[in-house]
Amino acid sequence: MSDLKAGLEAYLTDLWGAPTSVSNLSRIPGGASRETYRLDADTGGVTRGMILRRDPPGSLIETDRRLEFLAYRTVHGHVPVPQAVALEEDGGPLDRPFFLMERIDGGTVPSPFVFDPYAEHAAALGAQFFTTLGRLAALPHEGTPIREVAEAPAPEDCWRIALDHWSGVIEADEQHPQPIVRAAVRWLYRHPPPPAQRVSIVHGDYRTGNFMHDGAGTILAILDWEMAHLGDPIEDLGWAFDPLWNHFDENRVAGLVPQAEAIALWEAASGLKVDPKALAWWSLFNAVKGQAIWTSAAKEYRDGGFTDPILAISGWYTARRHDVILARRLAQLEGI
Amino acid sequence: MTPALPDILRGNFMALAIPGPPEQQGEFMTGRVGVIALLSLLAAQEVERGTQTRVWENAAISAVLAEAAETYGVQYAEIASTGPVDLSLEALDRANAALRRGLIALHEAVEAAGDLLRHKMIVGLYGQMAERRNLELPPLPAR
Repeated sequence: MSDLKAGLEAYLTDLWGAPTSVSNLSRIPGGASRETYRLDADTGGVTRGMILRRDPPGSLIETDRRLEFLAYRTVHGHVPVPQAVALEEDGGPLDRPFFLMERIDGGTVPSPFVFDPYAEHAAALGAQFFTTLGRLAALPHEGTPIREVAEAPAPEDCWRIALDHWSGVIEADEQHPQPIVRAAVRWLYRHPPPPAQRVSIVHGDYRTGNFMHDGAGTILAILDWEMAHLGDPIEDLGWAFDPLWNHFDENRVAGLVPQAEAIALWEAASGLKVDPKALAWWSLFNAVKGQAIWTSAAKEYRDGGFTDPILAISGWYTARRHDVILARRLAQLEGI
Repeated sequence: MTPALPDILRGNFMALAIPGPPEQQGEFMTGRVGVIALLSLLAAQEVERGTQTRVWENAAISAVLAEAAETYGVQYAEIASTGPVDLSLEALDRANAALRRGLIALHEAVEAAGDLLRHKMIVGLYGQMAERRNLELPPLPAR
C-alpha cells in the first residue's frame, strides 16, 4: 500500500468516524500548482468519488489552498463546481496541505494546446463559458466564505494591486533578464485603466483547459480556483481572451466563439459593460501575469531538480509564446 | 531565457528514470510521457536555431546600445562590447544576459527622456527578438 493511500484512509476514517478504505487512487495529469488525484472512498458499503488536491513540493503558483477551498464553497450553487468536502492546512497524515472535494464523472478537460477540441459544440460551450463568467462577475460576495480570506479592494485600486503582485513575482523569480515583459509592466503603470465598474470574485485562471465538459455541448464544472481573488472582473475576460488559449484559431477566443460574441454574452449575464480601454489594459496585464507564472515555473523547475516536465514546458514554450504576445500588444499600443 | 536546453534534456531523463509511486503510473505517466515528447520536439528546434538566434540577438542589442552611447552615456558602449567567450549556448546566454540588462536600463532612460523615436525602435526590436525565439508547437489533434 502506498503512503498516500494509507494516509487518506486514516484521515477519512477520522473525518467520518467510520472505517474507510480508499481504492482506484490515481494521479491526474496536469495540475502544476497542486497535485490532483482521483479516488473512491468506501465507508460502510457507500462509495464516494472524490478528488484530492495536495500541495506539491514545488509549485507553479504560490497560492493559499484555504482560499481555493473557500472559493469553491462560495460559488457552489451559482457556478458549476464540485462540492468542497474537507480542508487540512497543516497536511496531517498526507505530509503536505490538501483539500478534498466531490468528483464529477463523465467529463473531459482538453489540453489548451490541441487543435479544435470542442468541434461542433464550440458555440454551445462558448455561450455557457462566457455567460457563467458574467454570472460570476455579478455574484454578490459580501458575507460569503471567500470573504474570510480575501479583502475587497477599492474599485480604483484593483489594477495596481494586481500589477504590483505579478510584477513583484517577476522581480523575485527572474533568472534571465526579460526586457519585453519589463517594458510592458512600465507601460501598464504609465497608463492606468478606468476603475472597476464593480469589485467581483475573479477566478484568476478562467480559460480553456480549466473547465470540464461532457463531450455533447454542456459544461459540467469550472475548475482550478487557486488564483481566485476579489478585483476587476475584466481581468478574467482578458485572461480568457489571451491568444495563448485560442487553440490555434485566431477567429475564436478560447477556441469557442468570436470575441465580440463572448463580450455580448458576458455583458448580458453580468449587467456590466466592457470598456475597450479597460479590456486593452487587462489584456496586456494578463500577458504580464502569464509571463510571471512562467517565470516562476522556470525557477521551480530548477529548484526542484528539473524533474517536472510540466514546469519545463511552462517555463520555456509558454514563456516564449507570451513574449511574442507581449511584443505584439506593445507594438499595437504604441502604434508601431 | 530559462530553462536551458541541457537542463531540459537531463530533466527528461530524470523524469522517466526516477520511479514514481503506484498512484502515479497509468494515466499520469502517459500524460508525462506526452509532455516529454513535446519537449523533445521543441528541443530539436532549439538545437536547429538556438545558436543562430542568440548570435543575432546579441548583435542586434549590441548595435542599439552602441548607437545610443553618444546620447545616453559611455556605459552603454562598454556593455555593447560584451561578447561570448565561445559559441556554446551557455556562453552566448551569459553575454545575452549582460546585453539584455543593458537594454532594459537604456529603454528606461529612453522612456524617461521622452525619446519617442528610439523608444519605438526598441519596441520593434522586442518584436523581432520574440519572433526569433518563438518555439513552434504543432496543432496536435484533440483526443
